[in-house]
Amino acid sequence: MDAFLIILTGSIIAISCSILGCFLILRRMAMVGDAISHAVLPGIVIAFLLTGTRDSVWVIIGAGLLGVFTTFLIEFFHKKARLQTDAAIGVTFTWLFALGIILLSVFAGQVDLDQDCVLYGEIAYVPIDLWISESGVVLGPRALYISGFVLIVNLFFVKIGFKQLYLTTFDPAFAATIGISVTLWHYLLMGAVSMTTVASFDSVGAILVVALLVAPAATAYLLTDKFRNMLIIAAGIGVFISAAGYYLAVYLDGSIAGAIVTVAGILFGLAFLFSPKEGVVFKRMLQKREADKLKAA
Amino acid sequence: MKIEAENPAVEFHDLTVSYHKKPVLWNIDMTLPKGALIGIIGPNGAGKSTLIKSAMGLLPLGSGYVRMFDHKLDEVRDQISYVPQRESVDWDFPTSVFDVVLMGRYAKLGLLKRPRKADKEMAMSCLRKVGMEGYIDRQISQLSGGQQQRVFLARALAQEADLYFMDEPFAGVDAATEAAILSIMQEMTAQGKTVIVVHHDLQSAAEYFDWIVLLNMRLVASGPIEEVFNNELLQETYGGKLTVLAEVGELVRKRQIPSREKY
Repeated sequence: MDAFLIILTGSIIAISCSILGCFLILRRMAMVGDAISHAVLPGIVIAFLLTGTRDSVWVIIGAGLLGVFTTFLIEFFHKKARLQTDAAIGVTFTWLFALGIILLSVFAGQVDLDQDCVLYGEIAYVPIDLWISESGVVLGPRALYISGFVLIVNLFFVKIGFKQLYLTTFDPAFAATIGISVTLWHYLLMGAVSMTTVASFDSVGAILVVALLVAPAATAYLLTDKFRNMLIIAAGIGVFISAAGYYLAVYLDGSIAGAIVTVAGILFGLAFLFSPKEGVVFKRMLQKREADKLKAA
Repeated sequence: MKIEAENPAVEFHDLTVSYHKKPVLWNIDMTLPKGALIGIIGPNGAGKSTLIKSAMGLLPLGSGYVRMFDHKLDEVRDQISYVPQRESVDWDFPTSVFDVVLMGRYAKLGLLKRPRKADKEMAMSCLRKVGMEGYIDRQISQLSGGQQQRVFLARALAQEADLYFMDEPFAGVDAATEAAILSIMQEMTAQGKTVIVVHHDLQSAAEYFDWIVLLNMRLVASGPIEEVFNNELLQETYGGKLTVLAEVGELVRKRQIPSREKY
């Protein structure tokens, strides 16, 4: 049962991350996902200090807003100071993350969060961190509810805004000329990414959530040339790496989050070598066959 | 030299546009006629792309305004189509030729509506017009430059607009595509649509367009080709660039620009 709950929670988080990751990598914004996942930390701590709980919707909203603010700052430095995007990202998120670390260490006594947990997460605690209602009924793991809620919001968002997201990703200038607000959809997407990273924080931590955002999407990108399929494949990879990562961790008696990302990395490597579209091996074979044909002729 | 169009499709009024506080367009004031094939000509950095981008609201205007069919852009947005430069998008994007053309229908669909059968048929017929019906499932990264431009043109056709702004549609395309695009444009203007094209090749400009806008950060000339496309004004536009000037002089001498019917 515990195994099932951990894999289920991991899968739900991974699906959310993978789907949003597809948009991020096609927008060349993978590192913005990285930035957001770190920069939400002070938001989490502040919201926690204000509300006293870690599982409230306010934490997700508060930290989510901070994530959007981060992307705003990055844009601002890039546009106004004409700083390179990567420099703007580097300055902004490390600074906010540092702020979060300070808050965390200053208020360490009052906050049920520690730096290890923030950095690496611990998905193994999912089954014991239960949501118990006021009348004492055990409703199940807290993380499962939060990540489930976030997944539903994400699916709804992508379903409703598919055309707009797709178009502003592929050709923003054209999107703007037919009256779609590129800025609005940019910030909505950033909001979704922020919310998702916050919800994933407990389970996989600030460092590994980036891998969930990028690795399945990047793998799917190598495997298909249809955008819809890319979303579906990425989500499927998310589920697979959660399950395979869990069993790998059990086998090695190691960190689950670490194992999940390791599996994701291996899958990416396999896709890189064997993908029918871009695979190195396949291309070689094709070239060889062509060369043979030429020789024969 | 500026000739005003009667009953214009587009009116630029004292338009000034700056990039990072450096003005790139100064006081552009002109009207462009309906139903004409209009070429915007000028040297590199003259602000040709900037002019149409600012008309489409993609860049903030320093001062002045642009009106289309005597309305603000927002009021007539669905009658206007913009074709960006081919290089402005990522052609490795995982999408098919057909899906790109279908995007042209998105403007007519609301937030929630999905493309219907009629939209898909429309997209198909536009692909046929540009001779790309055999490529519908092709991933866009597998297209040649000319094919990419045809796909962009098909997407614009699918918008069923009345006014088209095209940014360098002839750049880097093969001769067959250039001819195909030109004949589609001529067909469009014959139907009363207005096509405004950013163009950099003077030789073909003389043959292609009905109306010429000569631009070099400021407006040098705007008018029917036979009145505007002359040595003096071209020199003024390309001022100082001797090699270009020599070519232009040669061009004007060699080619008797055909006189066309008045608008």
